[in-house]
Amino acid sequence: MTFDIEFQDVSFQYEGARSPALQHVNLAVRPGEIVLLTGPAGCGKTTLCSCINGLVPHYHEGTLTGRVLVRGYDTKRARIGGLSSLVGLVFQDPESQLVTASVADEVAFGPENLGVPRDEITRRVAEALQATRLAGYDERDPFSLSGGEQQATVIAAIYAMHPEIYVMDEPLANLDPAGRAQVLRLVIEVARRRGKTLFLVEHSLEETLPFVERLIVLDGGRLVRDGPVEQVLAAGDIPGVFTRPPIVRLAEAVRLDPLPLTPQDFYVRLRDQYPLGRYSEERKKEPVPPDGSAVIEFQDVHFSYNGQHAALDGVNLQIAQGELVAILGRNGSGKTTLVRHIIGLLQPERGRVTVLGQDASRTPVHELARRVGFCFQNPNHQLVAFNVLDEISFGLNAHGIASEEIDSRIQQSLEFVGLQEYRQAEIFDLGKGQRQRLALASVIALRPDILVIDEPTTGQDPRMAQDIFEILRRLNQAGTTVLLITHNLGLAAEYATRAVVVRAGRIDFDGSFRELLPDLARLRANSLELPQTTLLASLLAAHGVQPWLTTYEQLAQAVQALTGAAGAH
Amino acid sequence: MPIEFQKGESTLHRLDARTKLLLFVGLTMVAVIIIDPIFIAILFLVLYAFGARAVDRALLNRNLRVLVAIFSTFSLFQILFFTPEDAFLLFHLIPGREWIPVTVEGLIRGVAVFFRFFIVVLSVHLMLYTTPPVYLVLGLTRRERRRGLLRTAGVTVLLGAVFYAAARLAIPEQIARLPFEAGAQMALGAAVAVLAAFVVFGLATHGLPPEMGLALSLGFATVGILSQQTQRITDAQKARGYDVKPKNLIRRVRVLTALLLPIFLATLERSQDIAVAILARAFDFNISARTYRQELRFAAPDYLVMALIVGLILGGLALNAMGVGNPTEQFVLRALGA
Repeated sequence: MTFDIEFQDVSFQYEGARSPALQHVNLAVRPGEIVLLTGPAGCGKTTLCSCINGLVPHYHEGTLTGRVLVRGYDTKRARIGGLSSLVGLVFQDPESQLVTASVADEVAFGPENLGVPRDEITRRVAEALQATRLAGYDERDPFSLSGGEQQATVIAAIYAMHPEIYVMDEPLANLDPAGRAQVLRLVIEVARRRGKTLFLVEHSLEETLPFVERLIVLDGGRLVRDGPVEQVLAAGDIPGVFTRPPIVRLAEAVRLDPLPLTPQDFYVRLRDQYPLGRYSEERKKEPVPPDGSAVIEFQDVHFSYNGQHAALDGVNLQIAQGELVAILGRNGSGKTTLVRHIIGLLQPERGRVTVLGQDASRTPVHELARRVGFCFQNPNHQLVAFNVLDEISFGLNAHGIASEEIDSRIQQSLEFVGLQEYRQAEIFDLGKGQRQRLALASVIALRPDILVIDEPTTGQDPRMAQDIFEILRRLNQAGTTVLLITHNLGLAAEYATRAVVVRAGRIDFDGSFRELLPDLARLRANSLELPQTTLLASLLAAHGVQPWLTTYEQLAQAVQALTGAAGAH
Repeated sequence: MPIEFQKGESTLHRLDARTKLLLFVGLTMVAVIIIDPIFIAILFLVLYAFGARAVDRALLNRNLRVLVAIFSTFSLFQILFFTPEDAFLLFHLIPGREWIPVTVEGLIRGVAVFFRFFIVVLSVHLMLYTTPPVYLVLGLTRRERRRGLLRTAGVTVLLGAVFYAAARLAIPEQIARLPFEAGAQMALGAAVAVLAAFVVFGLATHGLPPEMGLALSLGFATVGILSQQTQRITDAQKARGYDVKPKNLIRRVRVLTALLLPIFLATLERSQDIAVAILARAFDFNISARTYRQELRFAAPDYLVMALIVGLILGGLALNAMGVGNPTEQFVLRALGA
């Protein structure tokens, strides 16, 4: 039997690294297989992908032992160019992979490199754009597209090269829920259409598991699980490394067989296996949001970037002292534009933004910044220094904090975000999640009254995302008012005290999550994706389960009560 | 303000990228050859009129306005220090000591120089504004295509004729001084011109290797990204309580240095990303056999523009050779009774 990808006892250590990135990996992937690889951040997923097209060891230098065979070619002896004609590799950040000025050129770039004749290139470009639903985008500038469209462009560019093997390294990580669904569908379709091998790396198991055949778990550079999806799921969780989707864990707890992967399956099987009674748990009172004085107030705020298309269209919003507010909405709805007004990076064309009693359009940004902390979406876009210490002291110096105090503030803020071991580290050595927390630390160090944070969990593994929300909750409990933009509806519902949905520059919804979560039409219109737990809860609503439950624990209690009361068959 | 491609459908947009490159090189030569201030001003206005139809006039003006002060200084230097011996003296800037004479020739030269610089700058702007960087690079990059012998010979002879005519007009004395009979002189001149044409044509069609072409196009693309990046970093610094526009001059310099580090970081990161991205797309598959999606083809307007440029160069040289290259100056001097 010949394999498409074969790892024979492969270990790799980056030059200058203290520990190996991969250790004794043995792996064989058959042609046409669809494989999902998962594992915590820093477990070696990207290194493993880079081995497949020869970036390791030809571009990223280090010591590679064992053999990596791609369609029988030893990658050590092949060139990246040759391997890239067999292996199409898509990375996490679409923007970083764009190299030309139009979508058509971007898609043509690979085939041009392969020396494909001109007529054939034109045909392939048209075909790839069709397959990725980008027809008509030919002359668009890739950098002006949305994240989802950019990732689709990158996939089209790989598709046009006609590779035998697709390797996708977290292709969904930087996208909003609408983009994720679109790109995931695309990825699966692209591989299925041509019957090619797909090697997919993803954190989000809930979305991807229903589409794959085989699941591999990587931890600390070692393969810890490898097998058919059902088999790997049946083997249970690995604490801190591999947490199965809540639906699966719950199904196991109530002994559903076979294990369902979607809430719909779960519901059907639960109904088949148990006579469901009614769940009547005493309703917990809705948490009362703090009703302190308003610290942020938008009064009929209008704004547009080009004078024509309104980015904010008559926004009225009040945020009270001590709230933890989640700002939700699809990409391009105006969320970021909204929060940028709070610190004066944008000024309203009409209307007024008042922050802590000051008119935000008249107060210089650096003055507002004394009391309002602001974290940008991409941590790389806000780093201002080369190492951790300078990064945090930058703001402290700008605020004129006494140098004796700076030290203790740095220590405190690093401890707050759990980066104390990285005090002496260089920025380059930090992963994306760590950079995100560093950015947060450098804002926390300024002890703001209000913290505004824009999508802090993009591209992070589920555990790191939860950690960030924990940090925000602790800050909030210590008295900081927190405004948070997020696409993660599940975590937002669990942690935030109030939901604000922005749609086409207007406030579409402002209220509690208990009101928002059951409103499926509204969620769909704003491309907000319910977590699987809440989906299941809404399916069970007829049996008395509250459709706004979000956490595993809440749902487990409900489901066990439903089944326990009736007793198993 | 980076000069980035602006989408459009104007005449300039439709010209072949190579024509626009030639236009830039040709106009630079024309600006050196033509010395009459009115001619050159008219040329500038014509070019500006074309430009204003191609890109947003406000954008164009904003970019040119910055240069007015600088070019005025150049022009002032010409006025103050260009003083040929038999020039028509107007007055001395420091009259008592007869220091720094201001002459008619100097003034006229000053005006011409002002427009000369603007023609060069404007033609670069128009080239970059109306041509997607990728096409410019493509125009400069080598491609493996066979050319008909007849076509090559035709172009070489045509180019040679232009060279020969230009040489006769520009350096007639030097040619006349050659120790040959008139007939041999002409034959030799023609041979040298054709040889030069062959070399120039060969170099021009050979083009840059694809690696350099790609490096150039990535460079173009990065300019836009860098300006975005600068804005993001400035915003991040402001949001951290950093006053990015302090009144104190020394602090302003420190603000700039604080900006340099993150931009350096961003550029470094971007260049690594790009290296990985192009390798993953098989850039080193077989570079000499690389193909291109777009083919550049000259059309009628391209030939017209080229003929126009050649006409301007030869015409300018002819006027200069006949001693009527600067009628404005002659007119003014005659009016002043010199």
